[in-house]
Amino acid sequence: MKNLLSLVNGPQTFGQGRTFWSAALLLLVAALFFPLFVSNYTVGNVAFFAVWVFMALGLSLIWGYGGMLSFGQTAFFGMAGYSYGVIAINFGQQSNLTFLSLILALVMAGLLALLIGYFMIYGRITGVFVGIVTLSLTLTLATFVNQTAGPEWRIGRARLNGYNGMTRIPPLSIPWVDGKLYFEGTAFYFLVLALLVVTYLGLRILVNSRFGNVLVAIRENPDRAELLGYDIRRYQLAAFVIGSTLAGLSGALYTAWGQFIAPASMALPAAAMPIIWVAVGGRKDLTATMVGTLLVLWLFQSLIVISQQYALIFIGALLLVTILFTPGGYLVWLMEHWQAYTERRRERAVPLPSGRPVAEGAAE
Amino acid sequence: MLLATVATLATTAALAQDKPPIKVGFLEDQSGEIALLTLPKLRGAQLAVEEINKAGGIDGRQLELIAYDPQFDNAKFQEFTRRLIDSDEIDVLFAGATSASREAVRPIIDRTDIPYFYTNQYEGGVCDANMIGTGGLPEQQLSTLVPWMMEKYGKKVYTIAADYNFGQISAEWTRKLVEENGGEIVGEEMIPLGVSQFGQTIQNIQAAKPDWLMTLVVGNSQASFYEQAPAAGLKIPMGSSITIGLGFEHKRFKPPAMENMHVAMNWFEEVSSPDADAFKQRWRAKFPEETYINDMGQNAYAAVYLYKKLVEMAEGSTELADLRTQIATGQACIDAPEGQICIDPKSQHVSHRMWQVSVDAQHNVTVERSWDKVEPYWLGEVGCDLTQYDPKEQYTPSYLPEPQ
Amino acid sequence: MLQTISYLYQVADVFAFLVLAAAGLAIIFGMMGIINMAHGEFIAVGAYVTTYSYQAGAPLVLGILLGSAAAGLFGIALERTVVRRFYHRPIDSLVATWGISLIMTQGALLLFGSGAPGVGTPFGSVAVAGGSFSIYRLVLLLIAVLVLAGLYLVFMKTRFGVHARATMQNAAMARSLGVPVDRVYAATFGLGAALAGLAGGLYAPTMTLSPMMGGSFVIEAFVTVVAGGADVLVGTPPAAIVLAVIKATATSFYGQVYGVMGLLVAVCIVVRVLPDGFTGWMTRRST
Repeated sequence: MKNLLSLVNGPQTFGQGRTFWSAALLLLVAALFFPLFVSNYTVGNVAFFAVWVFMALGLSLIWGYGGMLSFGQTAFFGMAGYSYGVIAINFGQQSNLTFLSLILALVMAGLLALLIGYFMIYGRITGVFVGIVTLSLTLTLATFVNQTAGPEWRIGRARLNGYNGMTRIPPLSIPWVDGKLYFEGTAFYFLVLALLVVTYLGLRILVNSRFGNVLVAIRENPDRAELLGYDIRRYQLAAFVIGSTLAGLSGALYTAWGQFIAPASMALPAAAMPIIWVAVGGRKDLTATMVGTLLVLWLFQSLIVISQQYALIFIGALLLVTILFTPGGYLVWLMEHWQAYTERRRERAVPLPSGRPVAEGAAE
Repeated sequence: MLLATVATLATTAALAQDKPPIKVGFLEDQSGEIALLTLPKLRGAQLAVEEINKAGGIDGRQLELIAYDPQFDNAKFQEFTRRLIDSDEIDVLFAGATSASREAVRPIIDRTDIPYFYTNQYEGGVCDANMIGTGGLPEQQLSTLVPWMMEKYGKKVYTIAADYNFGQISAEWTRKLVEENGGEIVGEEMIPLGVSQFGQTIQNIQAAKPDWLMTLVVGNSQASFYEQAPAAGLKIPMGSSITIGLGFEHKRFKPPAMENMHVAMNWFEEVSSPDADAFKQRWRAKFPEETYINDMGQNAYAAVYLYKKLVEMAEGSTELADLRTQIATGQACIDAPEGQICIDPKSQHVSHRMWQVSVDAQHNVTVERSWDKVEPYWLGEVGCDLTQYDPKEQYTPSYLPEPQ
Repeated sequence: MLQTISYLYQVADVFAFLVLAAAGLAIIFGMMGIINMAHGEFIAVGAYVTTYSYQAGAPLVLGILLGSAAAGLFGIALERTVVRRFYHRPIDSLVATWGISLIMTQGALLLFGSGAPGVGTPFGSVAVAGGSFSIYRLVLLLIAVLVLAGLYLVFMKTRFGVHARATMQNAAMARSLGVPVDRVYAATFGLGAALAGLAGGLYAPTMTLSPMMGGSFVIEAFVTVVAGGADVLVGTPPAAIVLAVIKATATSFYGQVYGVMGLLVAVCIVVRVLPDGFTGWMTRRST
């Protein structure tokens, strides 16, 4: 157990040592008390941003660590979102089974990922073709759901509703002393915060474990990894399923938060969003992905209020500039430079060969 | 004495100045698939707000228009509706052109006490106390047009419709009306939004040999049908509830693409009356570049005045309950550019002055028939009565309210 | 009789659309390994230039050529400034060109608004066996075939073609043999963009213009390119034929939605069965 926990630090993640973890703890404490000082709208809005981070972290695992550019995070997002909607509408409200609906929704997303991942990875599809297949998947689902507007498309009491999307989906709730506790507003914020902390730490442990090291080795050179005796496809499939299920978590939470899900969540513009969040911050590091995603989301929303059209131009330019000048993402670029800087200082202070962690795996 | 009067006047003026503005939330697409048609809505609302503010506001309060661009994205409609409610703290909401965006907004606005104006023509049937529908309805647009088309052109009808709730339910209405009048639907095709190639659809229509065609296609891409159909030699009388007055295709396509199109609607820019002409003049003075003042623009303009009327009737209150008390009197009427419109207490939809027009080969618009007042009767007839009960549902001919 | 003619006409119509929509994308992908996400925007450039030239009084044919040329020049400019930095990073190029696409769409929206006046489809229609068909659509089929033939001549019979094929096989080797690799890349990207512009110009008279109009081409274009594989000459035509049959059949029997879904499902199967698309299948058969 202690061994496992020690893996939160390791070669595959930036940010270790006392400074980093103190800052992280401080940030967490700030996040815990934050709702006391701001309006309900701001709390809800921050929770809404945080909902997307799971999907970004999942893509970081698949693309950044696993080297497979999945364009289809939204397919799993939608699969879980619609599953949550259908199950919660049918059983959630009366029997307090909304959390079971959430779990079943994740299972559905995971099964879809297993199917597609198996088909793709064992079919030896690589490179840009992974992007195309996953993009086709999400567009197929979007097209399919788009045409379910007719009354014949219902599952139990849930109408799929086509392009309009499903509405009036029950929010997450648990039995409470006086009836029910609904996870809306501040309660939803704390739920998402808790899930986020668990997911982030869990992923750090995962990528710094043997699994993560092998995954990075496969990304760097699949043939060599295979020659060393690793069943590379099993590792890739596992990463794909975990990352896609995290997209499913975003989808189910989004659906529960907005009590709404529509096929537009799976269409082309939506499908490209996770790639922007992850590429801009830095796909090869979980912390950079998380912080980068929150920053882009916040920036985008602030710009949209001023002008939607200019906001999109700005986002396009930001993406282009980032990928041109800091290919690994600007946060990773900053972190690398900061690390190099502190090490130079340490070397000057202690004239011994420093034990720089083997972060080379994260470089091109 | 005189001094005292002046002082009183000054305080009243100061008070009026100090009164907080009425915040008007406004969500219509300013970019995206249908922005061409919805931008006039924004301009109509801007014009109305400017005029009302110049004339002293509503009950001495100025109007503040807070508009965002949801970009044809229903999730953005939800996001912005929440923002308008919780962050901007609006008093009234005007939102949504497509029925999908309306259905995205309603669940959120329904949990508040904020009145919501939906200013588009639509497939009808929403029975919701928060919502006031000010656009044309099937009983105003289709019940007038379809029997006339059947008498004039024949009883075999083919429908193409955008594949979402507007198209599905409007197609259901067409089917109902055609069958009631002893006709036959020889084909019905639902087209996914965003489709722009109609080769197969055109041939299906040719094969089915209908007497006329009901077109309920939506958006930029689907409008390509009007270009491709005549190019393939498909020349057939067409009826619709959304072309010309709303989509001004006769201004956008090269003649004779829209030849033989027939539409019934509560506003066309071509319609002339003293009120309508003055309105068009004011609009063009403020927005000289406007291609066509469409039905959506007129409706959005009129809806702001309708809101003003309700608040004034309620003696300055902006509370939903007080406004609804006034609606219940049945006296909530204004003189809109189209003519007089009144809110029906049972359904909270408005009566309209209606025109039916046809388009010729040069894209000239001729008025065939007109009605001084067509009531929004259908919802009330089938059992929606918002003065008694608020189901917040959308009904269709095949999904009727349960008797209370 | 009418049914057969009608079905064949549909297949031909879809085939022309797929070839014209995909040709530019296929050349850029085949030669440089870059998936150009801004492909739809090049199509829109062609359509806009065509429409506005026509409105300004130019004959339609000249307008279409101008549209194609404008898109081509734009492509060359973009290659020189941005795209050439990504030849070793194909996945990043996908992200970068997507950024370009966002900027172009929104820029066009700000510049032109969301609509434009129509051009009107030339040539009228012809009546056969009780049905009537648009002649312009048949012209489009002819042009699609001419484009394929033209590409064959360019790549097989000209000096540029030899250089381009050499660069595609082994850029380093070609460079050391004196091939101006940089200029070949720029020209290839420009040619791809010009073909996209041509598609936009050709379809402009049949569609409603909007800055987002490229969107209704890109899915079909991607699908064709992926199914076709790396070689536009060997892979794209059979891929377009097979996909046209699938789409026309699904559309005529089950409706528009199934046409689109049929395409997407077909591409998943093709990629699984033929990892290099039809290019791999054709070359394997010929050796």
